[in-house]
Amino acid sequence: MMLPQTVALRDSWPAGLPQKTELTQVPFFPQKDYQCGPAALATSLANFKVKVTSDELIDQVYLPARQGSLQVEMLAAPRRYGMVSYQLAPRLEDLLREVAAGVPVVVLQNYGVGPFSKWHYAVIVGFDYQRGEVILRSGETERLTLAFPVLEYTWKASNYWAMVTLPPDRIAVTADESRWLEAVLAMERIGDALASKTAYASFLKRWPDNVTASVGMANRFHASGELNEAEHLLRRTTRRHPDSVPALNNLAQTLSDLGRHDEAMAVIDRAAALGGPFAASVAQTREAILQRRKQ
Amino acid sequence: MKSVTVKMICRFLIVSVMMLSFNAANAGMIGADQVAASGAQSERAAVLSVLGRSEVASQMQALGLDPKSAKDRVAAMSDSEVVALNGQLGSVPAGADGGALLLLVVVGLLVWWFFWKR
Repeated sequence: MMLPQTVALRDSWPAGLPQKTELTQVPFFPQKDYQCGPAALATSLANFKVKVTSDELIDQVYLPARQGSLQVEMLAAPRRYGMVSYQLAPRLEDLLREVAAGVPVVVLQNYGVGPFSKWHYAVIVGFDYQRGEVILRSGETERLTLAFPVLEYTWKASNYWAMVTLPPDRIAVTADESRWLEAVLAMERIGDALASKTAYASFLKRWPDNVTASVGMANRFHASGELNEAEHLLRRTTRRHPDSVPALNNLAQTLSDLGRHDEAMAVIDRAAALGGPFAASVAQTREAILQRRKQ
Repeated sequence: MKSVTVKMICRFLIVSVMMLSFNAANAGMIGADQVAASGAQSERAAVLSVLGRSEVASQMQALGLDPKSAKDRVAAMSDSEVVALNGQLGSVPAGADGGALLLLVVVGLLVWWFFWKR
C-alpha cells in the first residue's frame, strides 16, 4: 500500500482530535537557497518567543559541502537555546495531535522522484479534515496547503521524520516517557541550569516516579545550593526506590554537605551494601564522608 | 598471560575514559546522565562517543566548517547521536529546498491513483 497512514486516517479520524486547526500565530521565515533547515528551526523556536533569526541558525545547522542541514543537527541546535527538542513517533496521528495542542511540527520531506532526492524541511501549522489537507510554512510560501496523500508521499521517504521544539516548562502531548527523558538529558548537556531545572520539574509533574529524573532534579537543587530541597526529594526517591544506589549516594552526599555526617554514613553504607555499577563512586563518597567526620 | 594483561588494561582504560567523560558538575554526586547510561547500550554509546566527538568534528571540518563551529555543534549532540552520525555525514539526508515542478507531477499521479484505486 502506497500511503497507509492517509488511508487509515481517511477511514477513521483519531478520537478526540479536532477536525480543523490552524496556528495562525506561527511566524514565517522565508528561506534562502538551501536554507530550509535554518528557516524551519527559526519558525519553530520563534513560535515560542525565542529570540533567534534564520541567519543565526545557518551557523548551527547548515553544512556547506552538503548544501543542506542534517536531521541530527536540527535536533541538537535548539538545545543551545534552552529548548527541548524531540523527534515524534513516525505517525501522522501524533503529528496532528501536536499541532492540535498548539505546537508546530518540523517535517523532513523528499520532493524527489525515483532515484533523485530533494530533501526539504517544512513546518506543519494546521490541518483540515474536511478538505483533506495540511497547512505548512514551506520555503518561500507562508501558507502552503498539501493534500494528505501528497504530504505522506513526500514524508514517507524520511521514515516519517518529524520533530518539535518546546520550552522546558512544556511537554509534547505525544511524548514517550523514556524518549522525553533522553531529550531532557540531551538539553542538560549544554543547556543552561535554569532550563534544565524547569525541564526536570515539568517531567516529574507528569511522571513523578521516574528515578533518573528525580536524581537529575535533586542534582539541580544541590548545584544551586538548595540542599534541603535536594534532601527532601532524594528521601522521597529512596523511599519509593530503596534499591537505587545513585539516589542513596546522592542523599548521603547531600546530608554530609548539610553537616549531618552520621546520618550520611548510615545512608552511604546502605548504598555500599547494594554493590552494582556505581560501587566505585559510592566508595569515593563514603571515603569523603569519613574524612569529614574525623574533622 | 599477555592477553589477560591486555584485557585488564582495556578494562581500566574504559572505566577511566568513562569517568573522564561524565560531567561531574557536583563533586560526590552521581549525575542523571550516568544513571541513564547504566544500560549496556548506553554505556557503549558513552564510551564510543568520547573519541567519536573529535572524529565527527573532523568530519564536519572536512565538509566546510571551521574547527570552533565543528566543536560547538558536536557538543550539542547527545552520545548516541554522535555515535550514529560518525562516518555517515556524507550519506544521511541534508534538507535544502522544496520543489514545485516535481510536486505537480506527484499531485497528478496521486489524483489519478485516488480516482482509480479507490
